[in-house]
Amino acid sequence: MKYDIFFAGVGGQGILTIGEVLADLAYYKDFPANFYPSKGMAQRGGFVKAQLRLGRENIGPNIPPHGADMVIAMEQSESLKAIPFIKPGGDFVLYGDIWSPTAVSLGKVPYPTLEQIAEQVKLAEARLVYVDPQRLPNYDGELVHPNLFLLGVIMGQTTLGSLISSVDVEHIIRSRFKRNTEANIFAYRAGLGMQQVVS
Amino acid sequence: MKKLITGNEAIAYGALRAGVKAVTGYPGTPSTGCLSSLLAMDLADTHVEWSVNEKVALEVATGVAWSGQRALCTMKMSGLNVAYDTLISVAYSGCDGGLVIYVADDPGANAGMCEQDSRYFALMADMPMLEPATVAETYELTKLAFDLSEKIKGPVFLRLVTAIADSYAIVEIEEPGPVIQKAPLLIKDIQRFTKAGSVIATNQHRDLINRLEQAGQITTAAKINKTNLSNKVGGLGILASGITAAYLQEGFEAAALFGFIKEDVSTLEIKVTNPFPAVEARKMLEHCQKILILEELEPLIERGIYIEAQRMGYRGRITGKLDGLFSRIGEYGVPQVVQGIEAVLHLGIPEDLFSSNTQALQLAAARPITVCAGCPHRGTYIAIEKAIKKQGLKKNEVMVTGDIGCTILGMNPPFDLIWTEISMGASVGLAQGYVHAGVKTPVIATIGDSTFFHSGIAGLVNAIQHQIDLTLVIMDNLWTAMTGMQVNPGTPCDNGAKTYQEIDIARIISALGIEHFWIVDPFKLKESTDVIRQALALPGVKVVLARQECAIQAQRHGKQAGKIRVIEENCNLCKLCLIVTGCSAFNIGMNSIEIDPELCYGCGICIETCNRNALVEEVL
Repeated sequence: MKYDIFFAGVGGQGILTIGEVLADLAYYKDFPANFYPSKGMAQRGGFVKAQLRLGRENIGPNIPPHGADMVIAMEQSESLKAIPFIKPGGDFVLYGDIWSPTAVSLGKVPYPTLEQIAEQVKLAEARLVYVDPQRLPNYDGELVHPNLFLLGVIMGQTTLGSLISSVDVEHIIRSRFKRNTEANIFAYRAGLGMQQVVS
Repeated sequence: MKKLITGNEAIAYGALRAGVKAVTGYPGTPSTGCLSSLLAMDLADTHVEWSVNEKVALEVATGVAWSGQRALCTMKMSGLNVAYDTLISVAYSGCDGGLVIYVADDPGANAGMCEQDSRYFALMADMPMLEPATVAETYELTKLAFDLSEKIKGPVFLRLVTAIADSYAIVEIEEPGPVIQKAPLLIKDIQRFTKAGSVIATNQHRDLINRLEQAGQITTAAKINKTNLSNKVGGLGILASGITAAYLQEGFEAAALFGFIKEDVSTLEIKVTNPFPAVEARKMLEHCQKILILEELEPLIERGIYIEAQRMGYRGRITGKLDGLFSRIGEYGVPQVVQGIEAVLHLGIPEDLFSSNTQALQLAAARPITVCAGCPHRGTYIAIEKAIKKQGLKKNEVMVTGDIGCTILGMNPPFDLIWTEISMGASVGLAQGYVHAGVKTPVIATIGDSTFFHSGIAGLVNAIQHQIDLTLVIMDNLWTAMTGMQVNPGTPCDNGAKTYQEIDIARIISALGIEHFWIVDPFKLKESTDVIRQALALPGVKVVLARQECAIQAQRHGKQAGKIRVIEENCNLCKLCLIVTGCSAFNIGMNSIEIDPELCYGCGICIETCNRNALVEEVL
C-alpha cells in the first residue's frame, strides 16, 4: 500500500498531532513511513504544513503535485494551499475552522468562502469531506480537541479507514496521551461515529 | 532497535554510537533538533552545550578533537558563515579525534534567510562533505563521518537539507558506543597548531590537500557513492546528489507511464559531495551518451562533470542547470526527475504534468508572520512607534534596523516598523552606517537577547568607541525563542535545564560605561514610550533594555500576566485595539470586541490603546 497525506493548517490547532499519530502507527506496525512536518517561522497562528508518505522505503519527503491520496486541512483559507497536491479522486478533508488574519478581521481583504473552496476541490476532481466545527462534541463539559475528533471522521469516512485499523489508532492514542486519555478516545470515537458529511 | 526519528536525531544517535565526547552548536532552523535532542537525554559521558555562537561552538569542539576525543558541532548554513574563519584554520591544522561539522542547508528557504549552498564551503576548505539522501542514511553516514575524520586526521562536513533534517522515518539504531575514557592528549606542535609563518602555513596547506585526496580514495574504495550501470551502453545516465536520489524511483514510475524503461538508465547516487567523485563520474561518462544531473541549488557536481568530460574528450550531451533546464532556486523532487528525463529522452511527457491551478493559491488570504498573543515584542514595537510620533516624526522617516529571530516580526503589519534584516547582530553595525551617511533623524537598532550575546555585543562596543548617536533597543525575552526555546546566557537558570552561570545583559551594558541606559517593561506601554522618546532626543549611544519573558514559554511554566475583560457597553467596535496591536486573541463579536481566553496572556497592552475604557484588567 502506498498512501500519501498532505496536511495544512495553522500553528496551535494541533494538526501535526494527527500526522504524528499516523507516523507512530506506521512505526508500531513496522510499516515504511516518512513524516515531514514544516512549521515555518511563527510560533502560533502561522501556516503549518506536513507530509506523510506511507508504504515506500527511502522515499523523498515531498509529495509531488497531484500526488496526495488525501488532504487533511484544519483552516479554511489555508486548505487552498493544499489544492495543488490532491490527487484526482482523492479525499479532501476540511475541518472548517477560521483563523482570520488581522487584515481580514479589519475588513481590508476578503476571506475565501466555503463555496469557493468547494469549487476548487471540484476543479481538482477530488471529494470534499467537510466537517463543521459546530459539530465538535463536549466531554465533561468542555469541547474536545478537534484534531483527534477529525482523525475519527477520517477513519470513518475516507479510504484510509479501510487501510489501517481503528483498534490500532486507539492503541496509539492511548500510548501517546497518558493524560486525558479518555477525553481523547472519546473525541476520536465521536468523530468515527459521525454521520456522513460529504458535501 | 528500530526508532521513529528525525534526520536531526539520526545525527545525534549516530554521534552517540560513535562515542562522541562533546557536542556544541548554536540553534538555527533546521539544524536545531540535533543538539536539543541530545540535551534532553541527560548524558553522563558526553558534554552537550548551546554555545554563545557558532564560532565559539566550533572552537570548543576543536579543542576536544585536538585532545584526541570525538566532537560534533551543529549549525545552520548562516551559522557556518560565522564559524568559517575558525573552520578554515582548523581544516589546515587537521585533528586527532574525529571532528564532524553538521551544517543544514535550506533549499526553498522554508525558514527564511539565504538559499546558501554550503557545499561550496567544503570546496573552499578542502574538506570532505557527506550528504545523505534519507533519514536512515543520515545515521549511517554520521558514524562514517567520525571514522573518516580520524582516518584522514581532518574535520569532515555532514550536510543535510531541511526536508531530511525535519523528517521522521523509522531507522534501525544501535546502542550508544562507549565514550573513550583515555586521557586527553596534550600535543605541543606549533607546526600543526599555529599559522605563524609562510613555511608553517604552506606545509599545512599541502597536508590539507593530501587529506582530501585520501578521503576520496577511502570513500571510493568503500563505494559510498552508489553506481548502478545499466546493460544499455550509450544510454541515459543520471547523477543524483544528496536528497535528489530519494526521488529517482518515484520519478521513474511516473515516467514509465510514458514509455520510460528504468532498466535502461544508469544512476550514480552521490553521497560524497567533496571531493568530487571523479572515478565514479568517469565510469558514468564512459558508459552513457546522455548525462542528466540532479542537484538542488548550485551546479557544483555539474561543473565537476564538465571538467571530467573535457579531460576524457566526452562527446555526449550533459543536461542540468548550466544548459538552462533546471533552476538554482527551491527544492527538487519528482517533477525535476520527470522533467529531466523528458528533456533528454523526448518521450512526449506533457509539460503541465505537475503544474497546478494557481487560482486556489490566489484565493487564500495572506497570512503574514506575526508575533503571538501576549508577545512582549508587541509592546516594544508600539512604544517605538509612539515615541517616533511624539517626536514629531513619521515612521517612514526613522530608520529602525532589525535583526534575526522573533524581533524581526515588527517588519510586518500592523507595526511596519523594522526596515532591515541581514545577519545575527548586524542591526547594530548597520545602524551606525546610516548615521555616518548623514541621516538627520534618529537611528534606532533593535535586537533580541540571544542575538545580542551571539554577535550584537561587538557592534555595540564599536558604537561606543566611535561615539555614535544611536538608540539600541534590546528586546530581551529571556529565551532563544524563534528556533523553539533554547537557553542562552541570559536565560534564568531555574528553567530545569542543567545549571550554568546566568549573565545579565544589564550588567554588561553598565560595564560598558553607557551613560543613558534604561530597563523597561514592554507591557507598560506609557513608561516604555516615554523612555524611548527620551532616548531619541539625547546624543550618543543610548540603550533601552525591554525585558519581559516570552509569553509562550511563560505560559508553559504556568505564568499568566493578567486577565483582560471587555466592558461591552463601552465598546463601539471601532477596532482600534486590533488595528494597533494586531493581537490574535481578539475576535470581532456582534456588539463588541471579544477576547479569546485561551489565547489571551493578559499582557494588557491593548488597554492603553482603547480610548473608551472598554478594556480593563481584572484583579486576580
